[in-house]
Amino acid sequence: MEKILSIQGISKKYGHIQAVNGLDIDIFKGQVFGLLGPNGSGKTTTLSILLDLIRKDQGNFEWFGKPPSKESRKRIGSVIESPNFFPYLSARRNLKIVADIKDKPYNDIDEVLKVTGLFERRNDRFKTYSFGMKQRLAVASALLGNPDVLILDEPTNGLDPQGIAQMRDLIKGVADKGITIILASHLLDEVQKICSHVAVLNKGKKLFDGEVSDVLAVSELLEIATTDMILLQKAIADHPDFKSMTRSEDKWLVYFKTPIKAGEVNEFLYKQGIVLTHLSERKRTLEQHFLELLHDNS
Amino acid sequence: MGLYFLFLVLGILMAGFTINSWLDNINKHSPIPFPHITIYFFPEIWHNIMFFASLRYILIFPAIVIIILITNEFTNKTIRQNIVNGMSRQEFLLSKLQLIFLISVLITIILIIGTLIIGMANTSNYTMAMMFNKMSFAGGFFIQIFSFLIFAFFTGFLLRNTGLSIAIFTLYAVIIEPVLYVILKIPPLQPNNVSQFLPINSVVRIVEYPYFPVLKKIMGLNIQEQLSLLDCSVPLIYSAVMIGIVYIVLSRKDL
Repeated sequence: MEKILSIQGISKKYGHIQAVNGLDIDIFKGQVFGLLGPNGSGKTTTLSILLDLIRKDQGNFEWFGKPPSKESRKRIGSVIESPNFFPYLSARRNLKIVADIKDKPYNDIDEVLKVTGLFERRNDRFKTYSFGMKQRLAVASALLGNPDVLILDEPTNGLDPQGIAQMRDLIKGVADKGITIILASHLLDEVQKICSHVAVLNKGKKLFDGEVSDVLAVSELLEIATTDMILLQKAIADHPDFKSMTRSEDKWLVYFKTPIKAGEVNEFLYKQGIVLTHLSERKRTLEQHFLELLHDNS
Repeated sequence: MGLYFLFLVLGILMAGFTINSWLDNINKHSPIPFPHITIYFFPEIWHNIMFFASLRYILIFPAIVIIILITNEFTNKTIRQNIVNGMSRQEFLLSKLQLIFLISVLITIILIIGTLIIGMANTSNYTMAMMFNKMSFAGGFFIQIFSFLIFAFFTGFLLRNTGLSIAIFTLYAVIIEPVLYVILKIPPLQPNNVSQFLPINSVVRIVEYPYFPVLKKIMGLNIQEQLSLLDCSVPLIYSAVMIGIVYIVLSRKDL
Protein backbone atom coordinates (compact mmCIF):
# COMPACT_ATOMS: atom_id res chain seq x y z
CA MET A 1 0.00 0.00 0.00
CA GLU A 2 1.18 3.52 -0.76
CA LYS A 3 2.48 5.37 2.24
CA ILE A 4 0.96 8.84 2.45
CA LEU A 5 2.60 10.13 5.58
CA SER A 6 5.45 8.87 7.67
CA ILE A 7 6.41 10.59 10.90
CA GLN A 8 9.61 9.64 12.68
CA GLY A 9 10.17 10.88 16.20
CA ILE A 10 9.02 14.49 15.92
CA SER A 11 9.18 16.62 19.07
CA LYS A 12 8.18 20.15 19.90
CA LYS A 13 8.69 22.10 23.08
CA TYR A 14 6.99 25.38 24.02
CA GLY A 15 9.15 26.78 26.80
CA HIS A 16 9.19 23.98 29.35
CA ILE A 17 6.05 22.32 28.03
CA GLN A 18 6.67 19.28 25.88
CA ALA A 19 3.80 19.52 23.40
CA VAL A 20 4.88 16.65 21.15
CA ASN A 21 7.29 14.02 22.36
CA GLY A 22 8.97 11.63 19.92
CA LEU A 23 5.91 10.84 17.84
CA ASP A 24 5.99 8.06 15.22
CA ILE A 25 3.03 7.54 12.92
CA ASP A 26 2.57 5.95 9.50
CA ILE A 27 -0.52 6.62 7.45
CA PHE A 28 -1.40 4.72 4.30
CA LYS A 29 -3.54 5.55 1.30
CA GLY A 30 -7.28 5.26 1.83
CA GLN A 31 -7.17 5.23 5.62
CA VAL A 32 -9.39 7.45 7.70
CA PHE A 33 -6.90 8.08 10.42
CA GLY A 34 -8.00 9.49 13.76
CA LEU A 35 -5.70 11.32 16.14
CA LEU A 36 -7.44 10.85 19.43
CA GLY A 37 -6.48 12.52 22.65
CA PRO A 38 -7.70 14.88 25.35
CA ASN A 39 -7.24 18.65 24.99
CA GLY A 40 -3.58 19.56 25.15
CA SER A 41 -2.35 16.15 24.06
CA GLY A 42 -0.48 17.59 21.06
CA LYS A 43 -2.92 16.87 18.23
CA THR A 44 -3.07 20.39 16.82
CA THR A 45 0.66 20.95 17.30
CA THR A 46 1.36 17.76 15.37
CA LEU A 47 -0.90 18.78 12.50
CA SER A 48 0.61 22.29 12.50
CA ILE A 49 4.10 20.80 12.20
CA LEU A 50 2.94 18.62 9.32
CA LEU A 51 1.65 21.73 7.52
CA ASP A 52 4.74 23.90 8.11
CA LEU A 53 2.97 26.28 10.47
CA ILE A 54 5.15 25.26 13.40
CA ARG A 55 8.81 24.32 13.30
CA LYS A 56 9.64 20.96 14.83
CA ASP A 57 12.52 20.68 17.29
CA GLN A 58 13.48 17.13 16.37
CA GLY A 59 12.52 14.28 14.12
CA ASN A 60 11.46 13.97 10.52
CA PHE A 61 8.39 13.49 8.46
CA GLU A 62 7.65 12.75 4.83
CA TRP A 63 4.59 13.41 2.71
CA PHE A 64 4.06 11.02 -0.21
CA GLY A 65 7.54 9.59 0.37
CA LYS A 66 9.27 12.95 -0.09
CA PRO A 67 10.53 15.61 2.30
CA PRO A 68 7.78 18.17 3.02
CA SER A 69 7.53 21.10 0.61
CA LYS A 70 4.98 23.58 -0.65
CA GLU A 71 4.28 21.15 -3.49
CA SER A 72 3.23 18.44 -1.06
CA ARG A 73 0.98 20.91 0.75
CA LYS A 74 -0.79 21.69 -2.51
CA ARG A 75 -1.98 18.07 -2.54
CA ILE A 76 -3.42 18.37 0.96
CA GLY A 77 -6.70 20.02 1.91
CA SER A 78 -6.82 21.21 5.51
CA VAL A 79 -9.21 22.59 8.04
CA ILE A 80 -7.11 23.69 11.00
CA GLU A 81 -8.75 25.24 14.06
CA SER A 82 -10.92 28.23 13.10
CA PRO A 83 -11.79 28.98 9.47
CA ASN A 84 -9.38 31.66 8.22
CA PHE A 85 -10.45 33.74 5.25
CA PHE A 86 -10.34 37.35 4.12
CA PRO A 87 -13.44 38.76 5.87
CA TYR A 88 -14.12 41.47 3.30
CA LEU A 89 -14.15 39.07 0.31
CA SER A 90 -16.94 36.78 -0.87
CA ALA A 91 -16.78 32.99 -0.62
CA ARG A 92 -16.04 32.78 -4.34
CA ARG A 93 -13.24 35.32 -4.22
CA ASN A 94 -11.71 33.58 -1.21
CA LEU A 95 -11.82 30.23 -2.98
CA LYS A 96 -10.26 31.76 -6.09
CA ILE A 97 -7.31 32.84 -3.97
CA VAL A 98 -7.04 29.31 -2.59
CA ALA A 99 -7.20 27.89 -6.12
CA ASP A 100 -4.48 30.31 -7.24
CA ILE A 101 -2.18 29.25 -4.42
CA LYS A 102 -2.82 25.57 -5.05
CA ASP A 103 -2.39 25.90 -8.83
CA LYS A 104 -5.86 24.45 -9.37
CA PRO A 105 -8.44 25.55 -11.94
CA TYR A 106 -11.50 27.62 -10.98
CA ASN A 107 -14.03 25.07 -12.36
CA ASP A 108 -14.13 23.22 -9.05
CA ILE A 109 -15.25 26.24 -7.05
CA ASP A 110 -18.97 26.02 -7.79
CA GLU A 111 -18.84 22.27 -7.25
CA VAL A 112 -17.34 22.45 -3.74
CA LEU A 113 -19.69 25.29 -2.83
CA LYS A 114 -22.64 23.10 -3.80
CA VAL A 115 -21.31 20.09 -1.89
CA THR A 116 -21.01 22.20 1.26
CA GLY A 117 -24.36 23.92 0.71
CA LEU A 118 -22.97 27.42 0.29
CA PHE A 119 -23.72 27.96 -3.38
CA GLU A 120 -26.66 30.29 -2.69
CA ARG A 121 -24.48 32.54 -0.56
CA ARG A 122 -21.40 32.39 -2.78
CA ASN A 123 -21.27 36.12 -3.48
CA ASP A 124 -21.74 37.28 0.12
CA ARG A 125 -18.82 38.52 2.13
CA PHE A 126 -17.19 35.99 4.45
CA LYS A 127 -17.81 38.14 7.50
CA THR A 128 -21.58 37.92 7.05
CA TYR A 129 -21.49 34.10 7.47
CA SER A 130 -22.63 32.21 10.54
CA PHE A 131 -20.09 30.03 12.32
CA GLY A 132 -21.47 26.85 10.75
CA MET A 133 -21.19 28.39 7.28
CA LYS A 134 -17.64 29.55 7.94
CA GLN A 135 -16.72 26.04 8.99
CA ARG A 136 -18.33 24.64 5.84
CA LEU A 137 -16.47 27.14 3.68
CA ALA A 138 -13.26 25.91 5.29
CA VAL A 139 -14.21 22.38 4.26
CA ALA A 140 -15.10 23.63 0.77
CA SER A 141 -11.67 25.22 0.48
CA ALA A 142 -10.04 22.00 1.71
CA LEU A 143 -11.91 19.98 -0.91
CA LEU A 144 -10.92 22.31 -3.74
CA GLY A 145 -9.02 20.66 -6.56
CA ASN A 146 -9.46 17.05 -5.40
CA PRO A 147 -6.78 16.75 -2.72
CA ASP A 148 -5.06 13.42 -2.07
CA VAL A 149 -5.30 13.96 1.67
CA LEU A 150 -7.78 15.80 3.83
CA ILE A 151 -6.68 17.04 7.25
CA LEU A 152 -9.43 17.96 9.69
CA ASP A 153 -8.76 19.36 13.12
CA GLU A 154 -11.83 19.08 15.38
CA PRO A 155 -14.16 19.56 12.39
CA THR A 156 -17.35 19.35 14.44
CA ASN A 157 -16.19 21.63 17.22
CA GLY A 158 -18.72 24.35 17.93
CA LEU A 159 -21.34 23.06 15.47
CA ASP A 160 -24.93 22.35 16.39
CA PRO A 161 -26.22 18.73 16.24
CA GLN A 162 -27.52 19.17 12.73
CA GLY A 163 -24.22 20.69 11.63
CA ILE A 164 -22.32 17.81 13.23
CA ALA A 165 -24.43 15.27 11.37
CA GLN A 166 -23.92 17.13 8.05
CA MET A 167 -20.20 17.36 8.66
CA ARG A 168 -19.93 13.64 9.39
CA ASP A 169 -21.87 12.75 6.27
CA LEU A 170 -19.59 15.02 4.28
CA ILE A 171 -16.48 13.35 5.70
CA LYS A 172 -17.87 9.89 5.02
CA GLY A 173 -18.67 10.92 1.47
CA VAL A 174 -15.08 12.07 0.99
CA ALA A 175 -13.71 8.89 2.55
CA ASP A 176 -15.85 6.80 0.21
CA LYS A 177 -14.09 8.42 -2.74
CA GLY A 178 -10.86 6.90 -1.45
CA ILE A 179 -9.33 10.15 -0.22
CA THR A 180 -7.09 9.65 2.80
CA ILE A 181 -8.34 11.55 5.82
CA ILE A 182 -6.47 12.57 8.94
CA LEU A 183 -8.85 13.66 11.66
CA ALA A 184 -7.92 15.05 15.06
CA SER A 185 -10.56 14.82 17.73
CA HIS A 186 -11.05 14.55 21.44
CA LEU A 187 -14.37 12.81 20.90
CA LEU A 188 -14.12 9.04 21.02
CA ASP A 189 -17.54 8.62 19.63
CA GLU A 190 -16.58 10.68 16.57
CA VAL A 191 -13.41 8.71 15.93
CA GLN A 192 -15.25 5.44 16.34
CA LYS A 193 -17.99 6.47 13.93
CA ILE A 194 -15.76 7.89 11.22
CA CYS A 195 -12.26 6.43 11.41
CA SER A 196 -10.74 3.19 10.23
CA HIS A 197 -7.44 3.66 12.07
CA VAL A 198 -6.54 5.55 15.19
CA ALA A 199 -3.57 6.73 17.21
CA VAL A 200 -4.21 7.68 20.81
CA LEU A 201 -2.11 10.58 22.09
CA ASN A 202 -1.54 11.81 25.60
CA LYS A 203 0.90 14.51 26.68
CA GLY A 204 2.52 14.51 23.26
CA LYS A 205 3.20 10.77 23.28
CA LYS A 206 1.57 8.04 21.27
CA LEU A 207 0.03 5.47 23.59
CA PHE A 208 -0.77 3.07 20.77
CA ASP A 209 -2.22 2.91 17.31
CA GLY A 210 -3.95 0.45 15.05
CA GLU A 211 -7.31 -0.32 13.52
CA VAL A 212 -10.22 1.23 15.36
CA SER A 213 -11.90 -2.14 15.82
CA ASP A 214 -8.75 -3.53 17.43
CA VAL A 215 -7.90 -0.60 19.61
CA LEU A 216 -11.20 0.70 20.78
CA ALA A 217 -13.82 -1.96 20.46
CA VAL A 218 -12.01 -4.93 21.96
CA SER A 219 -13.06 -6.79 25.03
CA GLU A 220 -10.54 -7.49 27.69
CA LEU A 221 -13.14 -8.70 30.11
CA LEU A 222 -14.82 -12.09 29.92
CA GLU A 223 -17.60 -13.63 31.98
CA ILE A 224 -17.09 -17.36 32.40
CA ALA A 225 -18.76 -20.10 34.40
CA THR A 226 -18.65 -23.90 34.65
CA THR A 227 -19.71 -26.56 37.09
CA ASP A 228 -16.43 -26.64 39.01
CA MET A 229 -15.65 -23.02 39.71
CA ILE A 230 -12.51 -23.76 41.79
CA LEU A 231 -10.91 -25.77 39.02
CA LEU A 232 -11.76 -23.03 36.56
CA GLN A 233 -10.11 -20.43 38.76
CA LYS A 234 -6.84 -22.39 38.75
CA ALA A 235 -6.95 -23.11 35.03
CA ILE A 236 -7.62 -19.58 33.86
CA ALA A 237 -4.87 -18.17 36.10
CA ASP A 238 -2.38 -20.08 33.92
CA HIS A 239 -3.43 -18.24 30.78
CA PRO A 240 -0.47 -16.10 29.59
CA ASP A 241 -2.56 -12.92 29.31
CA PHE A 242 -4.36 -13.36 32.63
CA LYS A 243 -4.50 -10.20 34.76
CA SER A 244 -7.04 -10.62 37.56
CA MET A 245 -10.44 -12.05 38.32
CA THR A 246 -13.39 -11.45 40.61
CA ARG A 247 -16.41 -13.52 41.56
CA SER A 248 -19.73 -12.14 40.52
CA GLU A 249 -22.54 -14.35 41.82
CA ASP A 250 -22.14 -17.64 39.97
CA LYS A 251 -19.64 -16.34 37.38
CA TRP A 252 -16.00 -15.31 37.22
CA LEU A 253 -15.19 -11.90 35.73
CA VAL A 254 -11.75 -12.29 34.21
CA TYR A 255 -9.56 -9.36 33.17
CA PHE A 256 -6.84 -9.84 30.60
CA LYS A 257 -3.70 -7.79 29.99
CA THR A 258 -4.25 -7.57 26.24
CA PRO A 259 -7.25 -7.70 23.97
CA ILE A 260 -8.45 -11.24 23.76
CA LYS A 261 -11.02 -13.21 21.80
CA ALA A 262 -13.61 -15.31 23.56
CA GLY A 263 -13.05 -18.28 21.26
CA GLU A 264 -9.37 -18.40 22.09
CA VAL A 265 -10.10 -18.61 25.83
CA ASN A 266 -12.67 -21.32 25.24
CA GLU A 267 -10.17 -23.38 23.29
CA PHE A 268 -7.51 -22.84 25.98
CA LEU A 269 -9.83 -24.09 28.72
CA TYR A 270 -11.18 -26.97 26.65
CA LYS A 271 -7.65 -28.30 26.21
CA GLN A 272 -7.43 -28.45 29.99
CA GLY A 273 -10.59 -30.46 30.14
CA ILE A 274 -12.95 -27.72 31.21
CA VAL A 275 -16.23 -27.30 29.43
CA LEU A 276 -17.73 -23.87 29.98
CA THR A 277 -21.38 -23.49 30.76
CA HIS A 278 -21.25 -19.75 30.27
CA LEU A 279 -18.98 -17.52 28.22
CA SER A 280 -19.64 -13.93 27.24
CA GLU A 281 -17.70 -10.82 26.35
CA ARG A 282 -18.45 -7.93 28.60
CA LYS A 283 -17.93 -4.73 26.59
CA ARG A 284 -16.85 -1.80 28.62
CA THR A 285 -18.01 1.52 27.33
CA LEU A 286 -15.54 3.29 25.08
CA GLU A 287 -15.23 6.17 27.47
CA GLN A 288 -14.29 3.83 30.28
CA HIS A 289 -11.79 2.15 28.05
CA PHE A 290 -10.29 5.41 26.87
CA LEU A 291 -9.99 6.84 30.35
CA GLU A 292 -8.34 3.64 31.55
CA LEU A 293 -5.87 3.82 28.71
CA LEU A 294 -4.94 7.36 29.59
CA HIS A 295 -4.79 6.51 33.25
CA ASP A 296 -2.54 3.49 32.81
CA ASN A 297 -0.03 5.50 30.83
CA SER A 298 0.17 8.72 32.77
CA MET B 1 -3.81 55.41 -2.61
CA GLY B 2 -3.14 56.67 -6.12
CA LEU B 3 -6.10 58.99 -5.74
CA TYR B 4 -4.62 60.26 -2.51
CA PHE B 5 -1.53 61.47 -4.31
CA LEU B 6 -3.56 62.81 -7.22
CA PHE B 7 -5.53 64.95 -4.80
CA LEU B 8 -2.27 65.93 -3.20
CA VAL B 9 -0.97 67.28 -6.50
CA LEU B 10 -4.25 69.12 -7.09
CA GLY B 11 -4.06 70.43 -3.54
CA ILE B 12 -0.62 71.88 -4.11
CA LEU B 13 -1.89 73.44 -7.32
CA MET B 14 -4.89 75.03 -5.60
CA ALA B 15 -2.75 76.32 -2.76
CA GLY B 16 -0.36 77.91 -5.24
CA PHE B 17 -3.17 79.61 -7.17
CA THR B 18 -4.74 80.90 -3.98
CA ILE B 19 -1.48 82.38 -2.80
CA ASN B 20 -0.90 83.96 -6.21
CA SER B 21 -4.33 85.54 -6.23
CA TRP B 22 -3.65 86.95 -2.76
CA LEU B 23 -0.43 88.34 -4.09
CA ASP B 24 -2.36 89.91 -7.01
CA ASN B 25 -4.61 91.63 -4.50
CA ILE B 26 -1.72 92.82 -2.41
CA ASN B 27 0.09 94.09 -5.48
CA LYS B 28 -2.85 96.34 -6.33
CA HIS B 29 -2.24 98.32 -3.15
CA SER B 30 1.43 97.79 -2.61
CA PRO B 31 4.07 100.14 -3.93
CA ILE B 32 6.62 97.32 -4.17
CA PRO B 33 5.38 94.43 -6.34
CA PHE B 34 5.66 90.92 -4.82
CA PRO B 35 6.75 88.43 -7.42
CA HIS B 36 4.44 85.47 -8.07
CA ILE B 37 5.38 82.13 -6.65
CA THR B 38 6.90 80.12 -9.43
CA ILE B 39 6.76 76.63 -8.02
CA TYR B 40 4.97 75.27 -11.11
CA PHE B 41 7.66 76.08 -13.62
CA PHE B 42 9.86 73.54 -15.28
CA PRO B 43 12.27 72.34 -14.18
CA GLU B 44 11.89 73.32 -10.51
CA ILE B 45 8.40 71.86 -10.38
CA TRP B 46 9.92 68.37 -10.15
CA HIS B 47 11.74 69.30 -7.02
CA ASN B 48 8.81 71.14 -5.49
CA ILE B 49 6.10 68.54 -6.06
CA MET B 50 8.32 65.62 -5.05
CA PHE B 51 9.29 67.52 -1.91
CA PHE B 52 5.71 68.11 -0.85
CA ALA B 53 4.70 64.55 -1.65
CA SER B 54 7.54 63.13 0.41
CA LEU B 55 6.89 65.04 3.63
CA ARG B 56 6.71 62.53 6.46
CA TYR B 57 3.20 63.75 7.33
CA ILE B 58 2.07 62.78 3.88
CA LEU B 59 3.96 59.51 3.47
CA ILE B 60 2.50 58.33 6.77
CA PHE B 61 -0.92 57.63 5.19
CA PRO B 62 0.14 55.06 2.59
CA ALA B 63 2.42 53.63 5.32
CA ILE B 64 -0.62 53.09 7.55
CA VAL B 65 -2.37 51.28 4.69
CA ILE B 66 0.64 48.96 4.36
CA ILE B 67 0.64 48.32 8.12
CA ILE B 68 -3.05 47.40 7.97
CA LEU B 69 -2.41 45.08 5.01
CA ILE B 70 0.32 43.12 6.77
CA THR B 71 -1.17 43.00 10.27
CA ASN B 72 -4.50 41.87 8.78
CA GLU B 73 -2.71 38.75 7.56
CA PHE B 74 -1.93 37.96 11.19
CA THR B 75 -5.21 39.03 12.81
CA ASN B 76 -7.31 37.18 10.21
CA LYS B 77 -4.78 34.32 10.28
CA THR B 78 -4.82 34.32 6.49
CA ILE B 79 -1.02 33.97 6.50
CA ARG B 80 -1.49 30.59 8.21
CA GLN B 81 -4.17 29.57 5.75
CA ASN B 82 -2.03 30.61 2.78
CA ILE B 83 0.95 28.60 4.03
CA VAL B 84 -1.28 25.59 4.71
CA ASN B 85 -2.70 25.87 1.20
CA GLY B 86 0.74 25.52 -0.31
CA MET B 87 2.40 28.91 -0.35
CA SER B 88 5.99 28.89 0.90
CA ARG B 89 7.03 31.42 3.52
CA GLN B 90 9.43 32.96 1.00
CA GLU B 91 6.62 33.35 -1.53
CA PHE B 92 4.54 35.10 1.11
CA LEU B 93 7.30 37.63 1.76
CA LEU B 94 7.89 38.09 -1.95
CA SER B 95 4.19 38.74 -2.62
CA LYS B 96 4.14 41.51 -0.01
CA LEU B 97 7.33 43.07 -1.38
CA GLN B 98 5.89 42.98 -4.90
CA LEU B 99 2.79 44.76 -3.64
CA ILE B 100 4.84 47.47 -1.93
CA PHE B 101 6.97 47.88 -5.05
CA LEU B 102 3.90 48.11 -7.28
CA ILE B 103 2.20 50.67 -5.04
CA SER B 104 5.37 52.76 -4.98
CA VAL B 105 5.69 52.63 -8.77
CA LEU B 106 2.03 53.57 -9.28
CA ILE B 107 2.20 56.53 -6.92
CA THR B 108 5.41 57.73 -8.56
CA ILE B 109 3.83 57.46 -12.01
CA ILE B 110 0.78 59.43 -10.90
CA LEU B 111 3.02 62.15 -9.51
CA ILE B 112 5.07 62.24 -12.71
CA ILE B 113 1.96 62.61 -14.86
CA GLY B 114 0.56 65.26 -12.53
CA THR B 115 3.84 67.16 -12.57
CA LEU B 116 4.08 67.07 -16.36
CA ILE B 117 0.53 68.36 -16.79
CA ILE B 118 0.85 71.14 -14.25
CA GLY B 119 4.29 72.06 -15.52
CA MET B 120 3.14 72.31 -19.12
CA ALA B 121 0.10 74.35 -18.14
CA ASN B 122 2.12 76.87 -16.18
CA THR B 123 5.42 77.21 -17.99
CA SER B 124 5.09 79.52 -20.96
CA ASN B 125 8.21 78.74 -22.96
CA TYR B 126 9.81 75.43 -22.24
CA THR B 127 12.16 73.12 -24.06
CA MET B 128 12.40 69.35 -23.77
CA ALA B 129 15.64 69.77 -21.87
CA MET B 130 13.95 72.05 -19.36
CA MET B 131 11.04 69.71 -19.01
CA PHE B 132 13.05 66.67 -18.03
CA ASN B 133 16.02 68.39 -16.49
CA LYS B 134 15.14 67.65 -12.90
CA MET B 135 13.08 64.57 -13.41
CA SER B 136 15.60 62.62 -11.32
CA PHE B 137 13.74 63.98 -8.29
CA ALA B 138 10.91 61.60 -9.25
CA GLY B 139 13.40 58.74 -8.96
CA GLY B 140 14.40 60.09 -5.58
CA PHE B 141 10.75 60.15 -4.57
CA PHE B 142 10.37 56.52 -5.61
CA ILE B 143 13.23 55.52 -3.28
CA GLN B 144 11.61 57.60 -0.54
CA ILE B 145 8.18 56.06 -0.74
CA PHE B 146 9.48 52.53 -1.29
CA SER B 147 11.77 52.57 1.74
CA PHE B 148 9.20 54.35 3.88
CA LEU B 149 6.65 51.64 3.05
CA ILE B 150 9.24 48.94 3.77
CA PHE B 151 9.81 50.51 7.21
CA ALA B 152 6.04 50.37 7.79
CA PHE B 153 5.90 46.75 6.60
CA PHE B 154 8.76 45.89 8.97
CA THR B 155 6.98 47.46 11.94
CA GLY B 156 3.67 45.75 11.14
CA PHE B 157 5.35 42.38 10.60
CA LEU B 158 7.22 42.41 13.89
CA LEU B 159 4.38 43.74 16.05
CA ARG B 160 1.55 41.84 14.28
CA ASN B 161 -1.03 44.11 15.94
CA THR B 162 -2.71 46.76 13.79
CA GLY B 163 -3.39 49.46 16.38
CA LEU B 164 -0.09 49.07 18.16
CA SER B 165 1.90 49.12 14.91
CA ILE B 166 0.18 52.24 13.59
CA ALA B 167 0.61 54.03 16.91
CA ILE B 168 4.27 53.14 17.33
CA PHE B 169 5.18 53.81 13.71
CA THR B 170 3.42 57.20 13.61
CA LEU B 171 4.77 58.19 17.00
CA TYR B 172 8.30 57.28 15.95
CA ALA B 173 8.19 58.88 12.51
CA VAL B 174 6.48 62.10 13.52
CA ILE B 175 7.59 62.74 17.12
CA ILE B 176 10.31 60.47 18.50
CA GLU B 177 12.72 60.69 15.60
CA PRO B 178 12.56 64.47 15.16
CA VAL B 179 13.27 64.79 18.90
CA LEU B 180 16.06 62.26 18.66
CA TYR B 181 17.41 64.17 15.69
CA VAL B 182 17.74 67.31 17.74
CA ILE B 183 19.13 65.51 20.80
CA LEU B 184 21.81 63.79 18.76
CA LYS B 185 22.84 67.16 17.41
CA ILE B 186 23.58 68.57 20.86
CA PRO B 187 27.35 69.15 20.92
CA PRO B 188 28.76 66.49 23.30
CA LEU B 189 26.75 63.75 21.65
CA GLN B 190 27.42 64.48 18.05
CA PRO B 191 30.89 64.23 16.65
CA ASN B 192 29.92 64.01 12.99
CA ASN B 193 26.24 64.40 12.31
CA VAL B 194 24.98 60.92 13.22
CA SER B 195 21.43 62.20 13.30
CA GLN B 196 21.15 62.43 9.53
CA PHE B 197 21.40 58.65 9.38
CA LEU B 198 18.29 58.03 11.49
CA PRO B 199 15.99 55.89 9.33
CA ILE B 200 13.09 58.26 8.74
CA ASN B 201 15.36 61.24 8.33
CA SER B 202 17.51 59.35 5.86
CA VAL B 203 14.37 58.98 3.75
CA VAL B 204 13.18 62.56 4.14
CA ARG B 205 16.53 64.14 3.31
CA ILE B 206 16.75 62.61 -0.19
CA VAL B 207 14.65 65.46 -1.56
CA GLU B 208 15.59 68.51 0.45
CA TYR B 209 13.59 71.63 1.18
CA PRO B 210 13.19 73.46 -2.11
CA TYR B 211 14.21 77.03 -1.34
CA PHE B 212 12.06 78.75 -3.87
CA PRO B 213 13.99 80.65 -6.50
CA VAL B 214 12.52 83.83 -5.06
CA LEU B 215 13.92 83.08 -1.65
CA LYS B 216 17.18 82.14 -3.23
CA LYS B 217 17.40 85.53 -4.84
CA ILE B 218 16.41 87.29 -1.65
CA MET B 219 18.37 85.32 0.88
CA GLY B 220 21.10 83.77 -1.19
CA LEU B 221 20.49 80.24 0.11
CA ASN B 222 21.72 77.15 -1.67
CA ILE B 223 19.21 75.01 -3.52
CA GLN B 224 19.74 71.30 -3.86
CA GLU B 225 20.47 70.92 -7.56
CA GLN B 226 20.68 67.14 -7.84
CA LEU B 227 20.19 64.08 -5.69
CA SER B 228 23.11 62.72 -3.74
CA LEU B 229 24.03 59.09 -4.25
CA LEU B 230 24.88 58.62 -0.58
CA ASP B 231 21.51 60.01 0.52
CA CYS B 232 19.71 57.64 -1.83
CA SER B 233 21.61 54.57 -0.73
CA VAL B 234 21.16 54.95 3.05
CA PRO B 235 17.40 54.19 3.11
CA LEU B 236 17.88 51.40 0.60
CA ILE B 237 20.45 49.82 2.91
CA TYR B 238 17.98 50.15 5.79
CA SER B 239 15.31 48.49 3.63
CA ALA B 240 17.62 45.62 2.70
CA VAL B 241 18.49 44.99 6.35
CA MET B 242 14.82 45.08 7.36
CA ILE B 243 13.79 42.70 4.58
CA GLY B 244 16.63 40.41 5.69
CA ILE B 245 15.39 40.43 9.28
CA VAL B 246 11.81 39.73 8.18
CA TYR B 247 13.10 36.86 6.02
CA ILE B 248 14.99 35.26 8.91
CA VAL B 249 12.16 35.72 11.42
CA LEU B 250 9.59 34.40 8.94
CA SER B 251 11.69 31.33 8.11
CA ARG B 252 12.29 30.34 11.71
CA LYS B 253 9.23 31.37 13.66
CA ASP B 254 6.04 29.44 14.34
CA LEU B 255 3.02 31.08 12.78
